Amino acid sequence: VKLDLLIPGLPAKSDHFLFGICSLLLLRVAGRNILFDTGPFRVRPQLIGALKIRGLAPADIDTVFLTHLHWDHVENLDLFAHAEIITPRSEFEYAAAPRPTDWGTPPYVREILRDMRVELLPDEEIELFPGVKTLLLPGHSVGLQGLLVETGDERAVLASDALWSARDAVRGVPDVAFFDPAKAQASLDHALAAGSVFYPGHDRPFRLHNGAVKYLEQYRYRLHFPFQPNGQEFETGIATERAANSAASPT
Amino acid sequence: MNLISPITLLFSGLPARADKFLPGISTVALIKVADRTILFDTGPYAYRPILQGRLKRLAIDPGSIDTVILSHVHWDMAANADLFPNAEIVIHEKELAYAEAPDCHDAHTPAYVGRALHRLRLRPVTGEFEIAPGVRIVELPGHSPGSIGALVGNALLSGDAVACAAEAASGELRHETPKDERARQSLSKALSLADIIYPGHDRPFHVGTPPTYLDDYTIKIRFFTDPSGPDEELQIASLAAKSFASWP
Repeated sequence: VKLDLLIPGLPAKSDHFLFGICSLLLLRVAGRNILFDTGPFRVRPQLIGALKIRGLAPADIDTVFLTHLHWDHVENLDLFAHAEIITPRSEFEYAAAPRPTDWGTPPYVREILRDMRVELLPDEEIELFPGVKTLLLPGHSVGLQGLLVETGDERAVLASDALWSARDAVRGVPDVAFFDPAKAQASLDHALAAGSVFYPGHDRPFRLHNGAVKYLEQYRYRLHFPFQPNGQEFETGIATERAANSAASPT
Repeated sequence: MNLISPITLLFSGLPARADKFLPGISTVALIKVADRTILFDTGPYAYRPILQGRLKRLAIDPGSIDTVILSHVHWDMAANADLFPNAEIVIHEKELAYAEAPDCHDAHTPAYVGRALHRLRLRPVTGEFEIAPGVRIVELPGHSPGSIGALVGNALLSGDAVACAAEAASGELRHETPKDERARQSLSKALSLADIIYPGHDRPFHVGTPPTYLDDYTIKIRFFTDPSGPDEELQIASLAAKSFASWP
C-alpha cells in the first residue's frame, strides 16, 4: 500500500472561524486511488493542486474513504461525484437527523451524498483492501472509522479525529470528544495501540519514541491581513519553524 | 431619527489572504427594524458554532429570525442558512437558478448548495423593492449571477459587489478578475447608493476619499507547534481613526 500525505492537518483555532484543516491522504492499493477524507471547502484549491502534482485529476480518484460526516471532512465531496464513497453505516444513518446540539454534522450532508455511489461500512473491523483494515473509533462522532494501513515494514494508523492532534497522544486523553467522551477515550487508546506511525485528524503525522512525539512533517502557512484601504498589510504566519511565528511585522 | 443603527455586525469581514487555504472571512450582519429580525448572509460553515454563540450572547433566538437574505451562494456566505427554522430565505431567482446548476468550473460554489438550500423555505426575488420597513433589496450582479445587497437607510450591506474598502478606494475590483463585466458597474452603483458600506470581506467603512473604517477590528489565532508545550497565539488588530476626545 502506498500512502501519501496530501495535506497535513493543522491544530489551529481562531475566535472568528474554525480552521477545519484536516489530514488528507492518498492511498494507492489494489489498482485504486483512494482519497482519505476530502477536507473543508477552504482547502479545495490545495487539494486539487496536491492531486495535480501527483499527475491526478479529481476524476482519477475512484474511491473516497470518509471517516465521518463532519463538515470539515465532507465539503469537497462534490469534486468526486463519480467515485465510490465508503463511509460508516452508523454515520450515514445518523446524518439523516443529526441531534440539534451537533453543529459538526451539516444537516444537509445527506444532500451532499445524494445520487453518489455510497458503500456503507459495518459496525465491525474488516479488511477493506489488501493491507488496509478499518478501525472502529467512535466517540468524536457517532461512528467514526479510521484505517490501519500496512506500508511495508510499518503499520500506519489513520485515526482522523479520534486522535485530534499529537497532544491526545501526549496526554492520553482525547481533546475533542465531541459526541461520546467515554467511547472517545476507548477509541484513542485503541488507535494508539494499533500501530507505530500516526496520522491525526488535525495535526502532522508522528511517531512516538518513549512517549515523546516525533513529527514527520513540517508546515508553514503565510497570512496577509490588509489593514488600510491603500493596501498596507501585515504578513504573519503559522509555522513549525519557530522563526516564522515571530510577531506580525508590516511589509 | 433613530440614532441607534439597525445594523449589528455579527462577523466583520476581513480581506485576509493565505498561501495555503481560503480564509473566507466574510461579513454577517443582523438588521432589526420594526418587528423584523433579518440576517444578512450566514458565513462559511466554519462560522457555525461561533455564530450560534454570538447570537446567544445577544439574546437572539435563532427561531426569532424571520428573514435571511443571501447576497449570493458562494461557500463562504450561504452555509448556515439552515440554522433559522422560521426564516424565509431571500435569494435572487438568478442566483437560485445558478445554485441549482453551478458551472463546474466555478471555484467558489459547491455543486450541492442548491440541494442544501432546497430543504429550506426559499423566497426567490427579482427587481428592487422594500423587503421590510426601511430595508431595500438592490440588485448587484457580476460577482455572481444574482448578487444582491440590502440598503438600510444610508448604509448598504453589499455582499461581494464591494468585497473590501480597497475596491472603493481604487474603483477597481481587487480580489478576482470577474468574468462578468457587470461586476464593475455594480461596484460603482453600490458606492453611489450609500454613505456607509458593509462590504463582503472587510470592515464597514464610510465612502469617501479615502474611505475610512467605522471601527476597530481584532482577530486571534491560536495554535501549537509542540504538543507538550503551551499554545501560541497571534493577535491581529487594526484600529479605526477615532476622535481624540473619545479616547480614555
